Amino acid sequence: MNEDILQINSVKKSFVRNIIDVRGKEENERFFIIDDLDLQIPREKITALIGGNGAGKTTLFNIISGFMSPDSGDIIYQAENKQMSIIGLLPYKITRLGIGRMFQDDHIFHDMSVLDNMLLADADDFGEFPFISIIYNRKNKIIEQERIEKANSIFKELFGEDNPFWEKRDEPAKSLSYGQQRLLGLARLFMGNYDLVLLDEPTAGVNPQIINQILIIIRSMVEEKDVTVFLIEHNMKVVLDLADFCSFMSHGKITAFGTPDDVIGNDEVRRTYLGV
Amino acid sequence: MNYIFHIIIIINIYIILTVSTNLLVGMANLISLAQAAFYGFGAYLGVLALMILKLPMIPTIFFVMFFTALLSLIIAFPSLRLKGDYFILATLGFQLIVFTVLYNWISVTRGPYGIPGIPAPKLIGIIPVSGIIPFLVLSSILAGFVIFIFYKLVHSPFGRVLKGLRDDEIAVKSLGRNVTNYKILTFAISSAFIGIAGFIYASYVTYIDPTSFNLDEAIFILAAVLIGGTGNIKGPVVGAIFVVILPELLRFVGFPSSIAANLRQIVYGLALIILMRYRPQGIAGEYKLQ
Repeated sequence: MNEDILQINSVKKSFVRNIIDVRGKEENERFFIIDDLDLQIPREKITALIGGNGAGKTTLFNIISGFMSPDSGDIIYQAENKQMSIIGLLPYKITRLGIGRMFQDDHIFHDMSVLDNMLLADADDFGEFPFISIIYNRKNKIIEQERIEKANSIFKELFGEDNPFWEKRDEPAKSLSYGQQRLLGLARLFMGNYDLVLLDEPTAGVNPQIINQILIIIRSMVEEKDVTVFLIEHNMKVVLDLADFCSFMSHGKITAFGTPDDVIGNDEVRRTYLGV
Repeated sequence: MNYIFHIIIIINIYIILTVSTNLLVGMANLISLAQAAFYGFGAYLGVLALMILKLPMIPTIFFVMFFTALLSLIIAFPSLRLKGDYFILATLGFQLIVFTVLYNWISVTRGPYGIPGIPAPKLIGIIPVSGIIPFLVLSSILAGFVIFIFYKLVHSPFGRVLKGLRDDEIAVKSLGRNVTNYKILTFAISSAFIGIAGFIYASYVTYIDPTSFNLDEAIFILAAVLIGGTGNIKGPVVGAIFVVILPELLRFVGFPSSIAANLRQIVYGLALIILMRYRPQGIAGEYKLQ
């Protein structure tokens, strides 16, 4: 088994943008948001992706998880005993292969209960085909009970015996605080069987105490569940604290890759991104 | 007494229509203006099964459900790739096409002349179900059955996926669920049960013509769902009762029927506006339409 779980080979993605120049002449310009990008994500490690706004980080995540298709290039995914290109697969298929994702703006189900948020994230979708749960009423009840137990044990494991999530399990997720919603989004990932998890700015906009909790959760993902984590992060303290590897993205390319210390110490990164 | 039974039968038909439509509108967030088209499919397919194939009642119901669902896929496949308003427009187009075909394909549907003399459906092949009491029982059983099935569906893991869909489609995709499949299934299930309503209507009234299944009817069904409320089972049931009983009440108040008919439209319109402003989830619903 190769030690890289994901190999991104010369991926390109362009948008056409409409420019009106000073004389009022309209022109369509092809703009490469991702330009011939190569990157390997090491297995069972935490790799951070840093770079300025508009560098194409989220676009890269969208391409990996199938929400966008690249113009060219290939992404090879290597799980336990399969190796395949994931370009052109629909997002749900990529998830089924074991690539989970947490979005920048959480995307939890605000009007659904906290518990339903967890149950819908279960890797096993038994009963979700209409009538199956009516026909196999009994089996469905058992599986539902197992799902609930699973959610409960995940909450206990991540947030302790008396956690607010289990207490508020029947309340809509929007009743949770912003930081708690973020934690719920992370806890949801434990319901699936993921080998690789993409996290888009998991610590943005939450208080230091919750940042600490998030760091502990991400570490436990890697250490206890053998998950590979690939995360976008702007908080350099978090990157230094958490990541095994760090990649710097600029103008659609990875221009630096290495340990966080090396990359953050890199002259170009310091000048163009950190501004020091 | 027969008058009250008649009202209950009509309410039962509308309960089937609104509860089925609710699965689309209130659960999967797909607002469809083609519901009358499926209602019409149900009615015409029921006539086909009863008059030409001479099937007994239970097989007729399955026949109607199956083929209405099949026909719904014609619209489901192309239009479910569209989002929001574009989906509504696609279903509107489909509704208009279906009405035009029913109206003008005279050699098959007899067009505006309608189909009279629809025979009573035969229970177990011999006992004909005709007259008001048997229909009251039949329609109540079917409405109860539909309510039961949809209650189960809404509270099953399938219903949970649909709730997820109306809440956040991208999140559902990212959790490994095939969104398009769920939408197509929802569409087919909703249409299949609406077909049952068409079948009861056709065999109860014993006469059908395309004007019962035009765009006005489609909007009326949708209005009934929105007035009653979406997202649960209670809402559409209340909506069905409301829209059927209201014109009868207006009649009792003493308006001549020519005025009552117009007043009815005004009251429905007002009810919709007032509800959308002050109670967007409808009288008894739980989901606020966005």
